[in-house]
Amino acid sequence: MSQPPQGGAPQDYQVYDAASLPANDNVNPYAFCVELDGQWFLQKGKMIAYYGQIDFHGIGHGPLDGLVASSFHSPLHAADWVVAQGRGKLLLADRAFDINSYDLEDGNLTVRSGNLLAFDPSLSLKQSIIPGFLTLIGTGSFVAASNGEVHFVEPPVRVDPQALVGWADCPSPCHHYDHRYLKGVMGGLRAMTGVGGASGEEHQFEFVGAGTVLIQSSEVLMDERDTGGVPQQAGVPGGQGGDSGHGGQQGPQLPGQFGSLQRRLGL
Amino acid sequence: MAQFRLDGTKVLAVTLEGGGDAVKAKNGSMVAYDGEMAFKKLSGGGEGVRGMVTRRLTGEQMTVMEVKGRGTCYFADRACDINLVRLNGEKLHVEASNLLCTDSGLRTGTSFTGLRGASQGNGLFTTSVEGTGQAALMSAGPAVLLRVTPQTPLQVDPGAYVAHQGDLRQSFQSGVNFRTLMGEGSGEAFQVRFEGTGLVYVQPSERNTLGGDV
Repeated sequence: MSQPPQGGAPQDYQVYDAASLPANDNVNPYAFCVELDGQWFLQKGKMIAYYGQIDFHGIGHGPLDGLVASSFHSPLHAADWVVAQGRGKLLLADRAFDINSYDLEDGNLTVRSGNLLAFDPSLSLKQSIIPGFLTLIGTGSFVAASNGEVHFVEPPVRVDPQALVGWADCPSPCHHYDHRYLKGVMGGLRAMTGVGGASGEEHQFEFVGAGTVLIQSSEVLMDERDTGGVPQQAGVPGGQGGDSGHGGQQGPQLPGQFGSLQRRLGL
Repeated sequence: MAQFRLDGTKVLAVTLEGGGDAVKAKNGSMVAYDGEMAFKKLSGGGEGVRGMVTRRLTGEQMTVMEVKGRGTCYFADRACDINLVRLNGEKLHVEASNLLCTDSGLRTGTSFTGLRGASQGNGLFTTSVEGTGQAALMSAGPAVLLRVTPQTPLQVDPGAYVAHQGDLRQSFQSGVNFRTLMGEGSGEAFQVRFEGTGLVYVQPSERNTLGGDV
Protein backbone atom coordinates (compact mmCIF):
# COMPACT_ATOMS: atom_id res chain seq x y z
CA MET A 1 0.00 0.00 0.00
CA SER A 2 1.36 3.38 -0.89
CA GLN A 3 1.90 5.97 1.77
CA PRO A 4 -1.01 8.40 1.83
CA PRO A 5 -0.29 12.01 1.00
CA GLN A 6 -0.24 13.26 4.55
CA GLY A 7 1.44 10.21 6.03
CA GLY A 8 -0.12 9.09 9.22
CA ALA A 9 -2.41 6.42 7.86
CA PRO A 10 -2.29 3.11 9.60
CA GLN A 11 -0.46 0.59 7.48
CA ASP A 12 -2.93 -2.21 8.03
CA TYR A 13 -5.98 -0.37 6.74
CA GLN A 14 -6.87 -0.29 3.11
CA VAL A 15 -7.29 3.24 1.84
CA TYR A 16 -9.69 3.65 -1.04
CA ASP A 17 -9.81 6.40 -3.56
CA ALA A 18 -12.09 7.14 -6.47
CA ALA A 19 -10.24 4.68 -8.69
CA SER A 20 -9.56 1.85 -6.26
CA LEU A 21 -13.07 1.52 -4.87
CA PRO A 22 -14.62 -1.67 -6.22
CA ALA A 23 -17.23 -1.24 -8.91
CA ASN A 24 -20.61 -2.69 -7.93
CA ASP A 25 -19.10 -4.76 -5.15
CA ASN A 26 -18.72 -4.76 -1.40
CA VAL A 27 -16.03 -2.55 0.11
CA ASN A 28 -16.36 -4.52 3.32
CA PRO A 29 -19.28 -6.59 4.59
CA TYR A 30 -21.03 -3.43 5.73
CA ALA A 31 -20.52 -1.05 2.83
CA PHE A 32 -21.29 -1.40 -0.84
CA CYS A 33 -19.99 0.66 -3.74
CA VAL A 34 -22.12 1.32 -6.80
CA GLU A 35 -20.47 2.57 -9.96
CA LEU A 36 -23.11 4.95 -11.13
CA ASP A 37 -23.47 5.97 -14.72
CA GLY A 38 -27.06 6.91 -15.18
CA GLN A 39 -29.69 6.38 -12.57
CA TRP A 40 -30.31 4.21 -9.52
CA PHE A 41 -33.09 4.16 -7.03
CA LEU A 42 -32.01 4.30 -3.43
CA GLN A 43 -33.72 4.51 -0.10
CA LYS A 44 -33.31 7.78 1.73
CA GLY A 45 -30.39 8.10 4.07
CA LYS A 46 -28.48 5.03 2.89
CA MET A 47 -25.84 6.98 0.98
CA ILE A 48 -22.78 7.56 3.14
CA ALA A 49 -20.36 9.11 0.64
CA TYR A 50 -19.73 9.56 -3.05
CA TYR A 51 -17.12 10.62 -5.56
CA GLY A 52 -18.10 12.32 -8.78
CA GLN A 53 -21.08 14.32 -9.85
CA ILE A 54 -24.30 12.86 -8.49
CA ASP A 55 -27.64 14.53 -7.87
CA PHE A 56 -30.43 13.21 -5.69
CA HIS A 57 -34.00 13.76 -6.70
CA GLY A 58 -37.05 13.04 -4.65
CA ILE A 59 -39.66 10.92 -6.34
CA GLY A 60 -42.54 13.05 -7.39
CA HIS A 61 -43.48 15.28 -10.23
CA GLY A 62 -40.53 16.37 -12.27
CA PRO A 63 -38.10 15.38 -14.96
CA LEU A 64 -37.92 11.79 -13.71
CA ASP A 65 -41.57 11.03 -14.32
CA GLY A 66 -40.83 8.59 -17.13
CA LEU A 67 -38.33 6.62 -15.08
CA VAL A 68 -40.60 6.46 -12.08
CA ALA A 69 -43.49 5.38 -14.28
CA SER A 70 -41.51 2.49 -15.72
CA SER A 71 -39.80 1.11 -12.62
CA PHE A 72 -41.39 2.43 -9.46
CA HIS A 73 -44.82 1.10 -8.68
CA SER A 74 -45.03 1.71 -4.96
CA PRO A 75 -46.60 5.12 -4.48
CA LEU A 76 -46.89 4.52 -0.76
CA HIS A 77 -43.14 4.11 -0.47
CA ALA A 78 -42.33 7.08 -2.67
CA ALA A 79 -41.52 9.29 0.30
CA ASP A 80 -38.73 6.89 1.31
CA TRP A 81 -36.98 6.71 -2.02
CA VAL A 82 -34.82 8.96 -4.15
CA VAL A 83 -33.25 8.71 -7.56
CA ALA A 84 -29.48 9.14 -7.73
CA GLN A 85 -28.53 10.52 -11.08
CA GLY A 86 -25.10 11.20 -12.51
CA ARG A 87 -21.71 9.59 -12.78
CA GLY A 88 -19.42 8.50 -10.01
CA LYS A 89 -18.92 6.03 -7.20
CA LEU A 90 -21.60 5.84 -4.57
CA LEU A 91 -21.11 4.20 -1.18
CA LEU A 92 -24.14 2.66 0.47
CA ALA A 93 -24.47 1.44 4.04
CA ASP A 94 -27.11 1.05 6.68
CA ARG A 95 -26.59 0.96 10.46
CA ALA A 96 -23.58 -1.29 10.05
CA PHE A 97 -25.84 -4.12 8.89
CA ASP A 98 -24.48 -6.72 6.48
CA ILE A 99 -24.97 -5.60 2.91
CA ASN A 100 -25.26 -7.89 -0.09
CA SER A 101 -26.07 -7.38 -3.72
CA TYR A 102 -28.31 -9.75 -5.61
CA ASP A 103 -28.70 -10.25 -9.33
CA LEU A 104 -32.03 -11.12 -10.79
CA GLU A 105 -32.33 -12.53 -14.24
CA ASP A 106 -35.89 -12.33 -15.43
CA GLY A 107 -36.91 -13.28 -11.93
CA ASN A 108 -38.71 -11.98 -8.91
CA LEU A 109 -37.75 -11.47 -5.31
CA THR A 110 -39.74 -10.08 -2.41
CA VAL A 111 -37.90 -8.33 0.38
CA ARG A 112 -38.83 -6.55 3.58
CA SER A 113 -39.17 -2.90 2.66
CA GLY A 114 -36.80 -1.63 5.34
CA ASN A 115 -34.06 -3.99 4.17
CA LEU A 116 -33.92 -2.87 0.56
CA LEU A 117 -31.27 -0.20 0.02
CA ALA A 118 -31.07 0.40 -3.68
CA PHE A 119 -31.89 -1.08 -7.06
CA ASP A 120 -31.15 -0.74 -10.71
CA PRO A 121 -33.97 0.93 -12.67
CA SER A 122 -33.98 -2.03 -15.06
CA LEU A 123 -35.86 -3.79 -12.27
CA SER A 124 -39.31 -2.71 -11.38
CA LEU A 125 -40.34 -2.29 -7.79
CA LYS A 126 -43.84 -3.21 -6.77
CA GLN A 127 -45.57 -3.32 -3.47
CA SER A 128 -46.11 -6.89 -2.37
CA ILE A 129 -49.60 -7.89 -1.31
CA ILE A 130 -47.95 -8.94 1.93
CA PRO A 131 -47.86 -5.68 3.92
CA GLY A 132 -44.40 -4.32 4.61
CA PHE A 133 -42.74 -6.15 1.74
CA LEU A 134 -41.66 -5.03 -1.70
CA THR A 135 -41.32 -7.18 -4.80
CA LEU A 136 -38.66 -6.65 -7.46
CA ILE A 137 -39.38 -8.03 -10.90
CA GLY A 138 -37.19 -8.18 -13.97
CA THR A 139 -33.49 -8.31 -14.73
CA GLY A 140 -30.91 -6.31 -12.86
CA SER A 141 -29.21 -5.99 -9.51
CA PHE A 142 -30.25 -4.64 -6.15
CA VAL A 143 -28.66 -4.13 -2.76
CA ALA A 144 -30.24 -5.28 0.48
CA ALA A 145 -29.21 -5.27 4.13
CA SER A 146 -29.62 -7.88 6.81
CA ASN A 147 -28.76 -7.99 10.47
CA GLY A 148 -26.11 -10.67 10.37
CA GLU A 149 -25.39 -12.78 7.35
CA VAL A 150 -28.13 -13.91 5.03
CA HIS A 151 -28.89 -17.61 4.82
CA PHE A 152 -30.60 -19.15 1.86
CA VAL A 153 -32.96 -22.01 2.56
CA GLU A 154 -35.20 -24.04 0.33
CA PRO A 155 -38.86 -24.65 1.04
CA PRO A 156 -40.64 -26.38 2.65
CA VAL A 157 -39.55 -24.33 5.66
CA ARG A 158 -41.11 -22.40 8.52
CA VAL A 159 -39.44 -19.12 9.41
CA ASP A 160 -39.67 -16.85 12.41
CA PRO A 161 -41.40 -13.65 11.26
CA GLN A 162 -38.64 -11.42 12.57
CA ALA A 163 -35.86 -13.37 10.90
CA LEU A 164 -37.43 -13.29 7.46
CA VAL A 165 -35.64 -11.04 4.99
CA GLY A 166 -37.41 -12.11 1.80
CA TRP A 167 -38.06 -14.85 -0.69
CA ALA A 168 -37.62 -15.50 -4.38
CA ASP A 169 -39.64 -17.36 -6.99
CA CYS A 170 -43.03 -17.49 -5.30
CA PRO A 171 -42.79 -20.18 -2.63
CA SER A 172 -46.31 -19.26 -1.44
CA PRO A 173 -45.81 -17.51 1.91
CA CYS A 174 -48.47 -18.10 4.51
CA HIS A 175 -48.92 -17.93 8.26
CA HIS A 176 -48.58 -20.97 10.44
CA TYR A 177 -49.78 -21.19 14.01
CA ASP A 178 -49.04 -23.91 16.49
CA HIS A 179 -52.67 -24.59 17.12
CA ARG A 180 -52.11 -26.77 20.15
CA TYR A 181 -50.69 -23.86 22.09
CA LEU A 182 -53.21 -21.33 20.98
CA LYS A 183 -56.57 -22.98 21.30
CA GLY A 184 -58.91 -22.58 24.20
CA VAL A 185 -58.99 -20.05 26.99
CA MET A 186 -55.60 -21.12 28.30
CA GLY A 187 -54.07 -20.60 24.87
CA GLY A 188 -55.50 -17.10 24.73
CA LEU A 189 -54.10 -16.32 28.14
CA ARG A 190 -50.73 -17.72 27.22
CA ALA A 191 -50.53 -15.76 24.03
CA MET A 192 -51.61 -12.57 25.76
CA THR A 193 -49.61 -12.70 28.94
CA GLY A 194 -46.72 -14.95 28.08
CA VAL A 195 -47.47 -16.79 31.34
CA GLY A 196 -47.76 -20.54 31.16
CA GLY A 197 -45.25 -21.58 28.63
CA ALA A 198 -45.64 -19.35 25.63
CA SER A 199 -42.31 -19.70 23.92
CA GLY A 200 -42.84 -16.77 21.61
CA GLU A 201 -42.45 -19.16 18.72
CA GLU A 202 -46.06 -20.20 18.24
CA HIS A 203 -46.35 -18.31 15.01
CA GLN A 204 -44.21 -18.74 11.91
CA PHE A 205 -44.25 -17.95 8.24
CA GLU A 206 -44.51 -21.09 6.20
CA PHE A 207 -43.07 -21.49 2.74
CA VAL A 208 -43.79 -24.35 0.38
CA GLY A 209 -43.17 -24.73 -3.33
CA ALA A 210 -40.16 -24.06 -5.48
CA GLY A 211 -37.97 -21.12 -4.61
CA THR A 212 -35.53 -19.72 -2.08
CA VAL A 213 -36.16 -18.11 1.28
CA LEU A 214 -33.75 -15.55 2.71
CA ILE A 215 -33.35 -15.36 6.46
CA GLN A 216 -31.10 -13.22 8.60
CA SER A 217 -29.19 -14.45 11.61
CA SER A 218 -30.93 -12.17 14.04
CA GLU A 219 -34.44 -11.26 15.04
CA VAL A 220 -33.76 -7.57 15.20
CA LEU A 221 -35.77 -5.71 12.62
CA MET A 222 -34.80 -2.48 11.05
CA ASP A 223 -37.12 0.18 12.29
CA GLU A 224 -39.28 1.01 9.36
CA ARG A 225 -40.92 4.27 8.68
CA ASP A 226 -44.65 4.11 9.00
CA THR A 227 -45.19 5.28 5.48
CA GLY A 228 -45.60 2.41 3.10
CA GLY A 229 -48.85 1.28 4.64
CA VAL A 230 -51.42 -0.40 2.48
CA PRO A 231 -54.47 1.21 0.96
CA GLN A 232 -57.52 1.35 3.20
CA GLN A 233 -59.58 -0.85 0.99
CA ALA A 234 -61.66 -3.97 1.36
CA GLY A 235 -59.82 -7.12 0.36
CA VAL A 236 -56.36 -5.71 0.91
CA PRO A 237 -54.42 -7.60 3.57
CA GLY A 238 -53.56 -5.28 6.41
CA GLY A 239 -55.94 -2.65 5.13
CA GLN A 240 -58.62 -1.61 7.56
CA GLY A 241 -61.32 -2.64 5.08
CA GLY A 242 -64.11 -0.60 6.60
CA ASP A 243 -64.05 -2.33 9.98
CA SER A 244 -61.63 0.06 11.62
CA GLY A 245 -62.01 -1.45 15.09
CA HIS A 246 -60.30 -4.64 14.02
CA GLY A 247 -56.68 -3.86 13.26
CA GLY A 248 -55.54 -6.14 10.48
CA GLN A 249 -57.70 -8.91 9.11
CA GLN A 250 -55.30 -11.78 9.20
CA GLY A 251 -55.72 -12.69 12.85
CA PRO A 252 -57.08 -16.17 13.33
CA GLN A 253 -60.51 -16.41 14.87
CA LEU A 254 -59.41 -18.11 18.04
CA PRO A 255 -60.80 -17.69 21.51
CA GLY A 256 -58.84 -15.28 23.59
CA GLN A 257 -57.66 -12.02 22.23
CA PHE A 258 -54.37 -11.54 20.47
CA GLY A 259 -53.44 -8.15 21.82
CA SER A 260 -50.03 -8.00 20.24
CA LEU A 261 -50.55 -10.01 17.11
CA GLN A 262 -49.82 -7.15 14.77
CA ARG A 263 -46.53 -6.51 16.46
CA ARG A 264 -45.57 -10.15 16.62
CA LEU A 265 -46.10 -10.51 12.90
CA GLY A 266 -43.48 -7.84 12.44
CA LEU A 267 -45.83 -5.65 10.48
CA MET B 1 5.60 4.74 24.76
CA ALA B 2 2.17 3.13 24.99
CA GLN B 3 1.57 0.35 22.46
CA PHE B 4 -1.88 0.21 20.89
CA ARG B 5 -3.22 -2.93 19.30
CA LEU B 6 -6.64 -4.29 18.49
CA ASP B 7 -7.95 -7.41 20.16
CA GLY B 8 -10.56 -8.43 17.63
CA THR B 9 -12.20 -5.41 16.06
CA LYS B 10 -14.05 -4.05 19.05
CA VAL B 11 -11.55 -4.12 21.87
CA LEU B 12 -8.48 -1.96 22.11
CA ALA B 13 -5.54 -3.27 24.10
CA VAL B 14 -3.00 -0.73 25.26
CA THR B 15 0.27 -1.86 26.77
CA LEU B 16 1.83 0.61 29.17
CA GLU B 17 5.39 0.33 30.34
CA GLY B 18 5.09 2.19 33.61
CA GLY B 19 7.14 5.14 34.70
CA GLY B 20 4.89 7.95 33.55
CA ASP B 21 3.64 6.06 30.53
CA ALA B 22 0.02 7.19 30.11
CA VAL B 23 -2.87 7.42 27.71
CA LYS B 24 -6.03 9.47 27.67
CA ALA B 25 -9.22 7.51 27.16
CA LYS B 26 -12.94 8.15 27.12
CA ASN B 27 -14.23 8.13 30.67
CA GLY B 28 -15.53 4.73 31.68
CA SER B 29 -14.37 2.87 28.60
CA MET B 30 -12.00 0.50 30.44
CA VAL B 31 -13.31 -3.05 30.36
CA ALA B 32 -10.39 -4.94 31.89
CA TYR B 33 -6.73 -4.58 32.76
CA ASP B 34 -3.84 -6.54 34.07
CA GLY B 35 -0.88 -5.17 35.95
CA GLU B 36 -1.04 -1.97 37.95
CA MET B 37 -3.21 0.84 36.64
CA ALA B 38 -4.39 4.14 37.98
CA PHE B 39 -7.37 5.94 36.50
CA LYS B 40 -7.81 9.63 37.00
CA LYS B 41 -10.57 11.73 35.59
CA LEU B 42 -9.29 14.74 33.70
CA SER B 43 -11.58 17.69 33.88
CA GLY B 44 -12.06 19.44 30.58
CA GLY B 45 -10.28 16.82 28.53
CA GLY B 46 -6.95 17.47 30.18
CA GLU B 47 -6.54 20.68 28.26
CA GLY B 48 -6.23 22.98 31.23
CA VAL B 49 -8.58 25.69 32.32
CA ARG B 50 -8.65 27.31 28.91
CA GLY B 51 -9.51 24.05 27.19
CA MET B 52 -12.13 23.36 29.77
CA VAL B 53 -13.83 26.66 29.20
CA THR B 54 -13.55 26.29 25.43
CA ARG B 55 -15.13 22.87 25.51
CA ARG B 56 -17.91 24.04 27.74
CA LEU B 57 -18.58 26.98 25.45
CA THR B 58 -18.40 25.04 22.20
CA GLY B 59 -20.45 22.09 23.33
CA GLU B 60 -17.72 19.74 22.08
CA GLN B 61 -17.60 18.11 25.48
CA MET B 62 -15.53 15.11 26.20
CA THR B 63 -15.04 13.38 29.50
CA VAL B 64 -11.61 11.89 29.57
CA MET B 65 -9.60 9.89 32.04
CA GLU B 66 -5.88 9.46 32.28
CA VAL B 67 -4.69 5.90 32.54
CA LYS B 68 -1.22 5.43 33.97
CA GLY B 69 0.67 2.37 35.03
CA ARG B 70 2.28 -0.83 33.91
CA GLY B 71 0.49 -3.65 32.14
CA THR B 72 -2.23 -4.03 29.55
CA CYS B 73 -5.45 -2.12 29.66
CA TYR B 74 -8.46 -3.04 27.52
CA PHE B 75 -10.91 -0.43 26.27
CA ALA B 76 -14.25 -0.84 24.52
CA ASP B 77 -17.44 1.14 24.16
CA ARG B 78 -20.88 -0.13 23.14
CA ALA B 79 -19.35 -2.75 20.85
CA CYS B 80 -18.31 -0.02 18.45
CA ASP B 81 -15.65 -0.90 15.91
CA ILE B 82 -12.26 0.58 16.66
CA ASN B 83 -9.81 2.02 14.16
CA LEU B 84 -6.18 2.80 14.96
CA VAL B 85 -4.52 5.89 13.57
CA ARG B 86 -0.82 6.69 13.84
CA LEU B 87 0.03 10.35 13.68
CA ASN B 88 3.48 11.68 12.85
CA GLY B 89 3.02 15.34 13.50
CA GLU B 90 -0.18 15.74 11.50
CA LYS B 91 -3.49 16.91 12.72
CA LEU B 92 -6.54 14.67 12.84
CA HIS B 93 -10.03 16.09 13.12
CA VAL B 94 -12.54 13.83 14.80
CA GLU B 95 -15.92 14.11 16.48
CA ALA B 96 -15.47 14.04 20.25
CA SER B 97 -18.01 11.22 20.48
CA ASN B 98 -15.88 9.07 18.17
CA LEU B 99 -12.59 9.45 20.01
CA LEU B 100 -11.80 6.51 22.29
CA CYS B 101 -8.19 6.78 23.28
CA THR B 102 -5.11 8.88 22.55
CA ASP B 103 -1.46 8.55 23.38
CA SER B 104 -0.26 11.03 25.97
CA GLY B 105 2.09 12.40 23.31
CA LEU B 106 -0.90 13.76 21.41
CA ARG B 107 -2.47 17.11 22.10
CA THR B 108 -6.22 17.48 21.79
CA GLY B 109 -8.10 20.68 21.24
CA THR B 110 -11.20 22.11 19.69
CA SER B 111 -11.51 23.68 16.30
CA PHE B 112 -14.22 25.39 14.35
CA THR B 113 -15.81 23.39 11.57
CA GLY B 114 -18.51 25.64 10.31
CA LEU B 115 -21.85 24.50 9.08
CA ARG B 116 -20.99 20.82 8.82
CA GLY B 117 -21.21 20.50 12.56
CA ALA B 118 -24.54 22.23 12.64
CA SER B 119 -26.04 19.79 10.18
CA GLN B 120 -24.81 16.89 12.27
CA GLY B 121 -26.36 18.14 15.41
CA ASN B 122 -22.92 17.95 16.94
CA GLY B 123 -22.38 21.65 17.23
CA LEU B 124 -20.14 23.90 15.24
CA PHE B 125 -16.92 22.53 16.64
CA THR B 126 -14.87 19.41 16.35
CA THR B 127 -11.97 17.91 18.24
CA SER B 128 -8.48 18.05 16.81
CA VAL B 129 -5.72 15.63 17.72
CA GLU B 130 -2.17 16.65 16.96
CA GLY B 131 1.34 15.38 17.57
CA THR B 132 3.13 12.06 17.38
CA GLY B 133 1.62 8.81 18.60
CA GLN B 134 -1.39 6.61 18.20
CA ALA B 135 -5.07 7.30 18.57
CA ALA B 136 -8.09 5.03 18.49
CA LEU B 137 -11.32 6.08 16.82
CA MET B 138 -14.71 4.49 17.23
CA SER B 139 -17.20 3.95 14.47
CA ALA B 140 -20.47 2.07 14.07
CA GLY B 141 -19.17 -0.67 11.80
CA PRO B 142 -15.59 -0.67 10.52
CA ALA B 143 -14.66 2.69 9.05
CA VAL B 144 -13.97 3.03 5.35
CA LEU B 145 -10.96 5.19 4.55
CA LEU B 146 -11.46 7.35 1.50
CA ARG B 147 -8.69 9.35 -0.11
CA VAL B 148 -9.35 12.79 -1.46
CA THR B 149 -7.19 14.20 -4.23
CA PRO B 150 -7.52 17.53 -6.02
CA GLN B 151 -9.01 15.66 -9.00
CA THR B 152 -11.45 13.62 -6.96
CA PRO B 153 -13.26 15.62 -4.31
CA LEU B 154 -15.46 13.61 -1.97
CA GLN B 155 -18.98 14.20 -0.70
CA VAL B 156 -19.91 12.65 2.62
CA ASP B 157 -23.19 12.33 4.42
CA PRO B 158 -22.82 14.30 7.68
CA GLY B 159 -24.24 11.38 9.65
CA ALA B 160 -21.59 8.98 8.39
CA TYR B 161 -18.58 11.26 8.87
CA VAL B 162 -16.15 10.14 11.57
CA ALA B 163 -12.83 11.90 11.08
CA HIS B 164 -10.48 13.39 8.54
CA GLN B 165 -6.82 14.26 8.24
CA GLY B 166 -4.63 16.03 5.76
CA ASP B 167 -4.88 19.30 3.93
CA LEU B 168 -8.60 19.37 3.31
CA ARG B 169 -11.06 22.14 2.84
CA GLN B 170 -14.59 21.29 3.73
CA SER B 171 -17.62 22.99 2.45
CA PHE B 172 -21.23 22.46 3.07
CA GLN B 173 -23.28 21.42 0.11
CA SER B 174 -26.99 21.61 0.08
CA GLY B 175 -29.45 20.40 -2.47
CA VAL B 176 -32.36 22.18 -0.89
CA ASN B 177 -34.69 23.55 -3.50
CA PHE B 178 -38.33 24.40 -3.79
CA ARG B 179 -39.22 20.70 -3.93
CA THR B 180 -37.73 20.18 -0.49
CA LEU B 181 -40.12 22.78 0.78
CA MET B 182 -42.96 21.04 -1.00
CA GLY B 183 -42.22 17.92 1.05
CA GLU B 184 -40.60 16.10 -1.82
CA GLY B 185 -37.09 16.29 -0.47
CA SER B 186 -34.52 13.75 -1.48
CA GLY B 187 -33.38 12.84 2.03
CA GLU B 188 -29.83 13.50 0.89
CA ALA B 189 -30.14 17.25 0.87
CA PHE B 190 -27.02 17.95 2.90
CA GLN B 191 -23.52 16.78 2.20
CA VAL B 192 -20.07 17.80 3.24
CA ARG B 193 -17.71 18.29 0.35
CA PHE B 194 -14.02 17.65 0.98
CA GLU B 195 -11.48 19.15 -1.41
CA GLY B 196 -7.71 19.03 -1.35
CA THR B 197 -5.44 16.18 -0.34
CA GLY B 198 -6.10 13.88 2.58
CA LEU B 199 -8.07 11.06 4.07
CA VAL B 200 -11.65 10.87 5.29
CA TYR B 201 -12.98 8.19 7.66
CA VAL B 202 -16.57 7.21 7.01
CA GLN B 203 -18.67 4.76 9.01
CA PRO B 204 -21.19 2.38 7.40
CA SER B 205 -24.03 3.78 9.46
CA GLU B 206 -25.69 7.11 9.96
CA ARG B 207 -26.23 9.07 13.10
CA ASN B 208 -29.53 10.86 13.34
CA THR B 209 -28.93 14.25 11.92
CA LEU B 210 -30.98 17.34 11.57
CA GLY B 211 -30.56 17.20 7.82
CA GLY B 212 -31.32 13.51 7.51
CA ASP B 213 -35.02 13.79 7.00
CA VAL B 214 -35.07 16.75 4.67
